[in-house]
Amino acid sequence: MLLGSALITCMSLPYFDFETLPPFVIEKLPLRFESLWLAALRVHVAAAALGFPLCLLLLTRALQRRVVWHRWLGRVTGGLLLFALLPSGVVLAFDAKGGAVVTAGFLLSAVIVATALIFGVRAARRRDLISHARAMRHVVGQMSVAVVSRALIVALDSAGVAPDVAYVAALWGPVLASAVLVEWLSRRPIFWLQTPIYLVERMRREISPLALVLRVRARFHAVVRAGR
Amino acid sequence: MPSFALADEPSLVDWTRQRVETVLLKPLAERAGSRFSRSRPPPQERRVRVTQTSLSRDEQRRDFMPFSVDVRFGAGNWQADDIVGCAYRASGNLFVKRGEVYFPAAILLGKKVTSVPGACQAVAARS
Repeated sequence: MLLGSALITCMSLPYFDFETLPPFVIEKLPLRFESLWLAALRVHVAAAALGFPLCLLLLTRALQRRVVWHRWLGRVTGGLLLFALLPSGVVLAFDAKGGAVVTAGFLLSAVIVATALIFGVRAARRRDLISHARAMRHVVGQMSVAVVSRALIVALDSAGVAPDVAYVAALWGPVLASAVLVEWLSRRPIFWLQTPIYLVERMRREISPLALVLRVRARFHAVVRAGR
Repeated sequence: MPSFALADEPSLVDWTRQRVETVLLKPLAERAGSRFSRSRPPPQERRVRVTQTSLSRDEQRRDFMPFSVDVRFGAGNWQADDIVGCAYRASGNLFVKRGEVYFPAAILLGKKVTSVPGACQAVAARS
């Protein structure tokens, strides 16, 4: 995902060349509000280039252990998504190629992100970390649509699918699949989570190697402590 | 009326086709950008269709030939009129239609240009 995000960022750099028009922009012309659309595109690209890697970083256990860092980076990322990425995305959605079906797809994704983001922040504030994690997985799931959708467009083009059909399928497929997948992962029954493999995996992640070494050493080379 | 065209001079249709291929289609093919983008993938093939055999004249009494470019993706059918435009006989300038107006063809190659009112708009011949 990080690689895909970096690739999209590299491919989006021509949008900041104010002298030429990239192919994606040329396809749209003429636009009703060209200046507004171009400004929205640049804001959206910049916000996504920064926001998506930050979202992935916030999912790492290393950052989740550093609560203060996680909290502050989460606030920055949430603000970026809510006040830059989403409003600009909504502006772009109304001129999306593919017409109303594609516009609806982008708007649905935006609604999921906004709702999950607000719900997730409220859950974090009341220390409901399970609901917070579930909501934020929805945010990242929808953010990942940018990468999955482009990969699908390439795959469907290679398979000879007409670009118009491919564009719609490559948007709606990942939007719905991400939402369903996150919900499915969040609603897995508890016994599913208690399989030995899962528990060992959790222990491996939770217990640091040093703690494990100390525990083993305490068991086999117990040191008699002098009491007072 | 006798024709004064030289034997080796290309016909209007051939001239228009050559002009579109040289000025527009070759640069477009070379410009094909990254595929990891939301922009439409470049077509497998493009072909020029010259939609008239005789010249039309615009309001400024300049002669032009209208053309269309069809495209094909993968093994699919040809999609007609992907690009619609005209080639001016005297200057060789190409214009393409975006929405309801015509722009210099350079717009398709990423140049920032403005629309040209009246371009490629044939006026009815006066008796």
